[in-house]
Amino acid sequence: MIHRPLRRRTVLGTAAAAATAPLAGCSGAADRPAAPRRRKKGEKIQLSFWSWVPGIDRPVDLWNRTHPDVHVTVEKVSAVNGQQYAKMHAAIKAGNPPDLAQIEYPVIPSFLLDNGLYDLATLDAARHRTRFVGWQWQQSVFGDGIYAIPQASGPMGLFYRHDLFRKWGLEPPETWDAYESAAAVIRKKGAWIDTFAPTNGNRFAGLAWQAGATWYAARGETWTVHLDDTPTRRVADHWESLVKRKLVKTIPDRQNAWYKDIQTGAIPAWIGASWGDALLAGNAPATAGKWRVAPLPQWRKGGDAQANWGGSTTAVLAAAPYPEDALEFALWLNTDPKSVALLIDGGYGFPGTVKGYATTDLDVDRAFFGGQEYSKVFADAGAHVDTAWKWGPGVDTLYQRLGDAFTRALADGTPFRSVLADVQRATVTDLRNKGLDAVSGT
Amino acid sequence: MTTPPLRHRILTASLLTVAALYFLTPVYWLAVSATKNTADLFGTFGFWFAHPHPLDRLGAVLTYDHGVYVRWFANSLLYAGIGATAATLLAAAAGFALAKYPFRGRETVFRVVLAGVLLPGTALALPLYFLFSDLGLADTYWAVLLPGTVSPFGVYLCRIYATAAVPDALLEAARIDGAGESRIFATLGLRLMTPALVTVFLFQFVHIWNNYFLPLVMLSDSRLYPVQLGLTTWTGYADRHPVLYQYTVGGALLSVVPLMILMTVLQRYWRTGLADGGLKA
Amino acid sequence: MSRTAVTRPRAPRAHARPARPPHGRRPGRTRTRHTRAAAVLLLPFLALFVLCFLAPLGYAVYQSVHRTHRTGPLGLGGHPTETFAGLDNYAQALGDPTFLSGFGRVLLFGAVQIPLMIVLATALALLLESASARGVPFFRTAFFLPYGVPGVIASLLWGFLYVPGISPLVEIAGHLGVQIDFLARDTVLWSLANIVTWQFTGYNMLVLIAQLKAVPPELYEAARIDGANAWHLARHIKIPLIRPALVLTGVFSIIGTLQLFAEPMVLRPLASAIDSGYTPNLHAYSEAFTGDNPHLAAAEAVLLALVACVLSFGFLRLTAGRGTDRG
Repeated sequence: MIHRPLRRRTVLGTAAAAATAPLAGCSGAADRPAAPRRRKKGEKIQLSFWSWVPGIDRPVDLWNRTHPDVHVTVEKVSAVNGQQYAKMHAAIKAGNPPDLAQIEYPVIPSFLLDNGLYDLATLDAARHRTRFVGWQWQQSVFGDGIYAIPQASGPMGLFYRHDLFRKWGLEPPETWDAYESAAAVIRKKGAWIDTFAPTNGNRFAGLAWQAGATWYAARGETWTVHLDDTPTRRVADHWESLVKRKLVKTIPDRQNAWYKDIQTGAIPAWIGASWGDALLAGNAPATAGKWRVAPLPQWRKGGDAQANWGGSTTAVLAAAPYPEDALEFALWLNTDPKSVALLIDGGYGFPGTVKGYATTDLDVDRAFFGGQEYSKVFADAGAHVDTAWKWGPGVDTLYQRLGDAFTRALADGTPFRSVLADVQRATVTDLRNKGLDAVSGT
Repeated sequence: MTTPPLRHRILTASLLTVAALYFLTPVYWLAVSATKNTADLFGTFGFWFAHPHPLDRLGAVLTYDHGVYVRWFANSLLYAGIGATAATLLAAAAGFALAKYPFRGRETVFRVVLAGVLLPGTALALPLYFLFSDLGLADTYWAVLLPGTVSPFGVYLCRIYATAAVPDALLEAARIDGAGESRIFATLGLRLMTPALVTVFLFQFVHIWNNYFLPLVMLSDSRLYPVQLGLTTWTGYADRHPVLYQYTVGGALLSVVPLMILMTVLQRYWRTGLADGGLKA
Repeated sequence: MSRTAVTRPRAPRAHARPARPPHGRRPGRTRTRHTRAAAVLLLPFLALFVLCFLAPLGYAVYQSVHRTHRTGPLGLGGHPTETFAGLDNYAQALGDPTFLSGFGRVLLFGAVQIPLMIVLATALALLLESASARGVPFFRTAFFLPYGVPGVIASLLWGFLYVPGISPLVEIAGHLGVQIDFLARDTVLWSLANIVTWQFTGYNMLVLIAQLKAVPPELYEAARIDGANAWHLARHIKIPLIRPALVLTGVFSIIGTLQLFAEPMVLRPLASAIDSGYTPNLHAYSEAFTGDNPHLAAAEAVLLALVACVLSFGFLRLTAGRGTDRG
């Protein structure tokens, strides 16, 4: 058969790539296929950078103007349904990944499984740690390795229609109990306090995070998956009650129908994250001036437990031929005040850097929020995010399973607690299928 | 021919009108919505205009992001145009050979090609990606062009058509006149098979133009995107950049219009080609 | 060429040789010459066919019987190796209720949507070709237009017409006192079916019209003189004559249905009822890309291809009876 040689070639190529890497590992060096090439002085190089962030080209243009030797080309990848990561995984397997990529915190471990990311610790990146928000930096640290440079995070908060809340005699709820009571009042007025979007794993994870859950833990050689833990059950029970009492919609959020409800006031509140300001201002311009931001409701009255939803990093891919220059770009992009200013202007989220901007710089849509210095709410939230939370491999799959299971639960009335147990079991199987050691948390 | 009774004509006309409403309503919606901005798109009645500025709106689609839309459109034309042309010629040659030259294993070859018609293209896209990556072809124009040049259905159609429409006696006469086999194909074969070739071309053109999965898997450089893929990337970050909803709808209209014109104008060829060859299974 | 012989245009194979004039050419030389010519004409296509169809298929089969193993502390930074897995991936795919229910779903979809679409296409073709029709070019074009709208765009478009709160259809229905939700759990499959029907009915209609046009008009005249009315004409003369075309559209619809991907993919963010395994193709895609498990995805792709082949050939057998000659 004619296609034999081709097939073998592919297989051999994969095997060869797999075989050379362990040799480097055996010599005691870090996990890297080959020694990094150092750019000769004055040598001009090209770096490719995959990102989907709108407006990312502006800081990159600035970099290219000020750094003529290292030209960075942005390739915009589609971020629909996680397609960007699908492409990155495929490109890593195929051996033609970009030099740099935009990667969200939860998916970093998935890329480590592919040996896809360059260990920046070998380039002495640890000395830059103090330039970034502590917990964000920690999100890309695994063992002794540092695998990405933080760009932005998404501290969570409660967006609400100030005018409607006042009209209905409501205060932004301080506790989740108060939230449910407010939901009942709002429902009586013909509106819904929010939607429980079954497929929004990110937000559910954020709420579990706030309640004190730890879904993944690495103990020794083993991953412990503990989705079905007490804090997460508490969150699940809460939303199950809201759903059962029909106090929330169950439509997908941040989609056409939701935008419509946000515009009309049919949904006058949203548990969102800092980057939601641009989203609301852009999609519901007619409601300008009527929105405000409050901190997340708490499980304990007077508590200050916060959480994060979203945010991303700039990672250097393992195959990058010039990792030092790539790292330099990643650091510049996320710390240089001019670059950060451009990123803030594009509404990219809460900066990972600690210097180079003032909190009020982030109030891009202050008029939309009736003049409130709303970024202060998120800044306070960001300072109290639980640092014990850790992401593990296969979060994308976990979200998918969670979404599928919640979708079914909404259809057939399966208790939300069974959803947690089912997804936990499935996730352990998934990790084992990836060839990892994994157990269920108890 | 007698004229059918009036009630027959009224009944037929009303049935056809109902069907036309069904098929045209979404197109009408698209045309109306392409003139709206994002807020009106979500906030106003879908079947009627609100602040229509068709030229401004569509102009904005064309100029957004340094005119990337125009580039995507040109890419689509390139993939579909060149791919379909090549596919037609290759299929014509293969179909002609299978129809007119008895050789050992002919039926086996034909069956294997036929099975290719039945393979779900999406199932092959991923392995194809790994293969093309090995060959250094992923994320290049070739990655979308090459698979587009293979049309098993075209071979099937061409073979059946050539069997019926190219008489052996004519070929034999040409041979006696001293024509080589390749000249016989290039002059006689291609000419006699023209109606089928137009059909194959149209089929493959639409197939490539409509193919979403292959470019999605193959391409990462947005400058190589065909228009469909480009539009879905716009919807991908439309929530952060709401004006993109408006651009997506406008872009969808612009992308649909040329193909619709093409289909309308070339309808005749769809019919002739199909009637003469394709259906004689 | 004769258009009456629409169903069986091919000369039977056995006749091919005696038809050749017996000039003084040695058959052996002719055969060599023919084989060489056939090779020259076939090779370019076959080379690309192998590259773009057989090689990836082979690769998919190879992948489907392997799996990835990871080692090292926590698997992080460990180096994956491929090992032989036998039929484990197939067993896993067939043991996955989501994957199986996806199959069941597309089969149900096909069982309802394909006959519906073909009946609609046939009815429209017959109406347009009947003597009672006026404004035929306009209607024909109107029905065919959606075929020019790619699946992704069609789904985006219908998405806007489905979403409650935005859809003018839902709004109008609401004014008439009807509450419809196109994206609800038990309706969304039929909303997808509608998109596919909308796109392809006109195309299938055109195929059928082509076949109807190939019927010599004298046949109709004769029948009419015998006193057949329009219905009898359609039922007893036209439909039997367009049978081959109906079979062809049936086969292509089956293949298309099994490949269902772009429509649910685009509607997924809008309809929470569409999960990641809604159709087998979507499931394979999710496994390969989101789940990072190309081996399982390959097994699913191979299964999908197998089912497509079995169903299509089965359908051909079933409908063609005596006359089908694909060889």
